[in-house]
Amino acid sequence: MTALLDIRDLRLGFRTLAGQIDVLHGIDLAIRAGEQVALVGESGSGKSVTARIILGLLQETRSARVSGRVGFDGRDVMMMSPKERAALRGIEMSMIFQDPTSSLNPTFTIERQFAEVMRRPDRKLTRAACRERAARMLDEVSIPDTGRVLDAYPFQLSGGMNQRVMIAMALANNPKLLLADEPGTALDVSVQAQTLDLMRDLVTRHGTSVLFISHNMGVVREFADRIYVIYRGRIVEEGPTPAVFADPGHAYTRALLKAVPRITGRGLPDVPEVSDDFFDPMVRHGGTS
Amino acid sequence: MIRSLRIISASPLSLIGLILVAVIVLAAIFAPLLAPFPTHNGSVVDFAFANQAPSARNWFGTDLVGRDIFSRILYAYRISLVLGVVVLAIAVPIGTLVGLFAGYMGGWTEAVLMRIVDVFLSIPPLVLAIAVLGVLEPTLTNAMIAVTVMWWPWYARLVYAIARSEREEGYVLAAEVIGAPTRHIALREILPNCWPAIITKMTLDMGFVIIIASSLSFLGLGVQPPTPDLGSMVAEGARYLPDSWWMTVFPGLAILAAVFGFNLLGDGLREVLGVQE
Amino acid sequence: MSPVIRILARRFGISLIVLVGVSMLIFAIARIIPGDPARIALGPNATAEQVAAIRAEMHLDEGILAQYGYFVRDVLRGDLGTSLYTNRPVTFDIRQFLPATLELVILAGILMVGIGLPLGILAARYRGRWPDHLIRVLTLLTVSAPSFVWAVILMLIFAFYLPLFPVAGRLSDSYDITRVTGFLTVDTILAGNWGAFVDALHHLILPSVALALSGIGQAARLTRANMVETYDKPYIEMAQAYGFFPSRIARSYAFKPSLIPSLTIIGLDFAAMLGNAFLVEAVFAWPGLSRYGVAVILRKDLNAIMGTVLVIALTFIVVNIVVDLLIAFLNPRIRHSTRGAAS
Repeated sequence: MTALLDIRDLRLGFRTLAGQIDVLHGIDLAIRAGEQVALVGESGSGKSVTARIILGLLQETRSARVSGRVGFDGRDVMMMSPKERAALRGIEMSMIFQDPTSSLNPTFTIERQFAEVMRRPDRKLTRAACRERAARMLDEVSIPDTGRVLDAYPFQLSGGMNQRVMIAMALANNPKLLLADEPGTALDVSVQAQTLDLMRDLVTRHGTSVLFISHNMGVVREFADRIYVIYRGRIVEEGPTPAVFADPGHAYTRALLKAVPRITGRGLPDVPEVSDDFFDPMVRHGGTS
Repeated sequence: MIRSLRIISASPLSLIGLILVAVIVLAAIFAPLLAPFPTHNGSVVDFAFANQAPSARNWFGTDLVGRDIFSRILYAYRISLVLGVVVLAIAVPIGTLVGLFAGYMGGWTEAVLMRIVDVFLSIPPLVLAIAVLGVLEPTLTNAMIAVTVMWWPWYARLVYAIARSEREEGYVLAAEVIGAPTRHIALREILPNCWPAIITKMTLDMGFVIIIASSLSFLGLGVQPPTPDLGSMVAEGARYLPDSWWMTVFPGLAILAAVFGFNLLGDGLREVLGVQE
Repeated sequence: MSPVIRILARRFGISLIVLVGVSMLIFAIARIIPGDPARIALGPNATAEQVAAIRAEMHLDEGILAQYGYFVRDVLRGDLGTSLYTNRPVTFDIRQFLPATLELVILAGILMVGIGLPLGILAARYRGRWPDHLIRVLTLLTVSAPSFVWAVILMLIFAFYLPLFPVAGRLSDSYDITRVTGFLTVDTILAGNWGAFVDALHHLILPSVALALSGIGQAARLTRANMVETYDKPYIEMAQAYGFFPSRIARSYAFKPSLIPSLTIIGLDFAAMLGNAFLVEAVFAWPGLSRYGVAVILRKDLNAIMGTVLVIALTFIVVNIVVDLLIAFLNPRIRHSTRGAAS
């Protein structure tokens, strides 16, 4: 079976006044249709920039140097024009962000934001049709009073509510791939768990592939079928979730796992400083990819 | 300081500003040495050369009584710069103190001081200066007083906004906990955080003071003839447009050059010091 | 109580305090005048009896508080005294000259917003690239000269060298328009005289452009600065992740939220044009309030000075209230400050 997303030897560097800073040192990563995959690592390991390269956003930054292959649905995102990449975004792939409340436009109502998203593939969609479909999407994320939420502004809703709105919005156009960058990390732990459950149900039902980016092994365990562990721009371990948890092969993965109980939802994992064995070669749990 | 200079010179626009300001300040200081006709500073007449277009002898032409416009511009810069420095030297400390205490103390002090500031800010700046000069005699000193009266509230507002947000910061609370006196907290803890914004604004304001002062003398309410002033030179020459265009255009461009220089420099400083607009 | 009404009430309260303060300030300015105001009003040739009469009329022999009381009482009655320059009530003179100034300032304000904001949006959208640099230099130039310098330069180029616009005045002599509102653009339409309307507009253009230039620069720079800050917000990245057009992101996602903090300053700049109108009117021989203002100031005509400043301050305060209302209207946080659905 061919992968929906197939990343080969992805490299990224930033040109600065002080010379080039390399962020990704050749990453391979694949996601099959309907598969939920996690990319786990500390902040600064290169996981968020990977998502932005898949979306084609970083390629448009003048200081960024990107190379490698980003295969998506049989086409290479790297070879596309900015216009072609923009045509994928919001339709074929969409993204969920860390802080739901500040990721929504403060001057638009929820209904208007839904309309903006849903009119991406179909510009002639009527207001009534948008509202009706948005209400259905909100219903899917278990939001009770959909009419009131549609008329509200983001600041009038709680963080958990905005998180659900953002999930519903991201799936509104039925994308093939959903990128979730630390979803809900800004939220309360219990609220975060609740919305992640919802999200998992929803993507399973829609058959959406997910790249779930997180620093938290505990959260990932609940969510992902398969895990990639990233350390300083290199994938250090890859395998099915149960296998990685049962037998973490890489020293860095073990350090991340040890840090889990101390995670309080917001804080960064308390991983030891650099250790020599963190640079050991990649561990691959065979048979799945 | 040297680091700041290096950053400023890294941006070409700021560097142009720095050079413009330096040239103008030096030209003003050394006007008696640089001016081709230093005596044209006063009420000299030389009708043989009256109303001459720009030439090798008179780069910017001559005025109605034959005085060299280039020389008079150099001397006029002296007046503008002195006026700017004096106005800011008086207005900035007053405004800073008012804003600092209003912002830090809060309560009644804040309410009373800031309402007074609001009163001054609710008359357009130029109109306030015109009104003050209207009842006083139009002299250089009174022009300075008038401009100072309209200027200090802007610093009060700037510093007030910073002081109010700093009031809640941890280091201020810590100083309060150990019982530091109000005066100490305001001047030693909060004021240093206001300096970048104040210095940036002062640089930009040197330009604006020149604009306001020349506007007053343009209306005949500032420096009086025969003392050369950029604003009154434009006003005088405007009567002889379009034929004797040099009488207005060069003094006008002289204002533009000076203010542009201070603005470019201020913009550069804003970036160096990390001040938001 | 609705939040908009609450804001309005607070705003009016502050404005009232400010107005009282302004009246005190104006009164104080009028009293720092050196010498005897009555003597100044009458000139050096007046007799002692005339001076005494005027002193009594101006209540100059009573205490300073009583004098302020009389001043406020008269102002509230709409009586700003008689101008010693024109020998007419100051209110009559102001009504005569204010419309010409307002016409100029309003058109300049429209130019400031209509040109300044789009320039700022353009600069912010292309921040760090050549359109941004170009706009930065241009706007910095426009704010670097007083409006009278722009007035002179524009006049020289567009009225003398290229005679596209009239040199001075509000209307060509060939038209005779009955005064109704004092706004010539309105009065000519009321008179049904299309040619005169075009002529009035033609006269308005150069002075209002001269007046607007620095405002355009200020508005563009402010818009750019606030927008660039907004471009760092997460919802901009989200909009990019959804593939919206950059022009749409600029307008709806970066500009709209950043407009709210810009508006207060733009309002202040707009009102400051009332002061700068003094300079432009002088160059273009525009028969507005400022020519009256300068004339009465040079003659130390106290009543007229106080009246003019008071009217300008009042206009200023009204503009600020309007801006606050606009902000309350644009900012959903103020419009709907109750929480909607619970979590």
